[in-house]
Amino acid sequence: MLKVENIESGYGSMQVLWQPSLEVKKGSITSLLGPNGVGKSTLLRTILGSVEPWHGRITYEGRDITPLPTHKKVDLGITLVPEGKHLFVEMTVHENLIMGAYRKEAFQHMHDSLKLVYALFPVLKERDKQKAGSLSGGEQQMLTIARALMTKPKLIMLDEPSQVLAPKLVGEVFETIERLKAEIGLTILLVEQNAEASLKAADYVYIMHEGRIKAEGGAEEIAASRDMREAYLGI
Amino acid sequence: MILEQLIGNLIQGLVLGAIYGMATMGLSLIFGVLRVVNVGHGAFIMVGAFIAWWLFSALGVIPILAIPVALVIGLALGFIFYYSVLRRLIKAPELASLLATFSIGVLLEETAKLIFGSEFRGYNWAVGKITLPMTVLPMTKLYACLGSVLIAVLLYIWFNKTRAGTAMRSVVEDSEGAKVCGVNVEGVYAMSFALGIGLTVVSGVLLTMFIPVGINPYMGGPYTLKAFVIAVLGGLASPYGAFFGGLVFGLIENGSYTLFAFLPGVEPFALTRFFSCMMLLVILLIRPTGLLRAK
Ligand SMILES: Nc1ncnc2c1ncn2[C@@H]1O[C@H](COP(=O)(O)OP(=O)(O)O)[C@@H](O)[C@H]1O
Ligand SMILES: [Mg+2]
Repeated sequence: MLKVENIESGYGSMQVLWQPSLEVKKGSITSLLGPNGVGKSTLLRTILGSVEPWHGRITYEGRDITPLPTHKKVDLGITLVPEGKHLFVEMTVHENLIMGAYRKEAFQHMHDSLKLVYALFPVLKERDKQKAGSLSGGEQQMLTIARALMTKPKLIMLDEPSQVLAPKLVGEVFETIERLKAEIGLTILLVEQNAEASLKAADYVYIMHEGRIKAEGGAEEIAASRDMREAYLGI
Repeated sequence: MILEQLIGNLIQGLVLGAIYGMATMGLSLIFGVLRVVNVGHGAFIMVGAFIAWWLFSALGVIPILAIPVALVIGLALGFIFYYSVLRRLIKAPELASLLATFSIGVLLEETAKLIFGSEFRGYNWAVGKITLPMTVLPMTKLYACLGSVLIAVLLYIWFNKTRAGTAMRSVVEDSEGAKVCGVNVEGVYAMSFALGIGLTVVSGVLLTMFIPVGINPYMGGPYTLKAFVIAVLGGLASPYGAFFGGLVFGLIENGSYTLFAFLPGVEPFALTRFFSCMMLLVILLIRPTGLLRAK
């Protein structure tokens, strides 16, 4: 569904990505693992276009989307749950969700999408008139995912959704991600530092180091390989 | 006596304050969305003042009808300067955009001087007065005040009820978040800059309806200063905060003027300016996010 080939990008004159390539199969959970600062977030931003690719090719559903601006990619059904949430904290929960349905196509399906996310996250319905900034950390993370669902995505990229959450909530987030795949049929590209939980949820895994893909394989295969775990994942 | 004069002046201050507020909304809008401080702000007010003056004295067009003309010219200037200059500077260090907007201001001033010369202009649109308790208000001032309030209300509706306005609010709050929702952030930047400049040029027309004299290529400087004080009063990034700040500023300016006039041996107008600068300092010290905001 998504194919990334030999991408290079970075910030200003600092190159962060050194030609990583990866592929995300339709209906799968593909996980991108690796320690802090190796360029995982940069790769997701480059796929969505908020960081410009310098070199390489991004193909989505057989179509070259490398040069498209972010909003055109959202139109095509790609979205990102960014690291650090980036909610509209002064807006209500409901307004945040409406913002998710900003593009024309998504707006036409707004009512169905709302029903879907409220069914998935009942607590958001209870709090729909509250300001997003007043929610707890876990609720905010749910809202970020819900807002992304409002864009009517086919491919959803999640950037460390379990970061800074209490252990119990981490479990909930991973459960949610598996439901997105099983119940809504979404394709998922998941960036995580929590290697253990990711290996359980994912179908296929890439391991990134210093802007490059160092290893890849089926989740079970990676989990079973002692070398992999010791060399890259520290578990 | 003194009380009557004070109340009379406060009414005038409220009317002028509405116009000040309107004249600051563009500055706050541009800062809120682009995080660019438009140092050339006053020059755009000057452009509006010349539009009102020229249309009235050369073509006999009344200032109210100059408002839509000023809006169109302001929007056009905004788009031109955004795409030719500011677009490249959004991600650059702040100094770059400060110098750029300063230069744009100088460019406008010198262009106005080339076309109109540097003498002071004025016009006289005589449409009567209205007598209020404690003061007399020329109708032009009343129109300018009502116009300002109306524009502020329209802007509020635009921000809260339209798709484009909502997109702007989302970019003000979190441009990264706006991007993942599919907002064309670059487009919002262009539109906000154009709208901010459009509002500012319109406010130049409204200001001449309150003070129809002193129109001159270099008239903008004091208005830039006042707009900064007002914007800080209202919390810099919020156009409504700016409107509220304008009202407060108009009241304080006119109120303090009346009181200072009773002090022997001082020039009240100069003291007013000193007072506003002091106010700016004090607010920055105790409430750096503006009077409206709690945090
Ligand atoms: N907005 C940014 N501007 C400049 N440098 C950045 C920015 N975001 C990340 N970086 C740098 O890019 C490198 C990769 O960061 P990132 O993609 O966030 O890594 P990861 O998500 O794997 O932790 C780091 O050296 C980081 O300091
Ligand atoms: Mg990251």
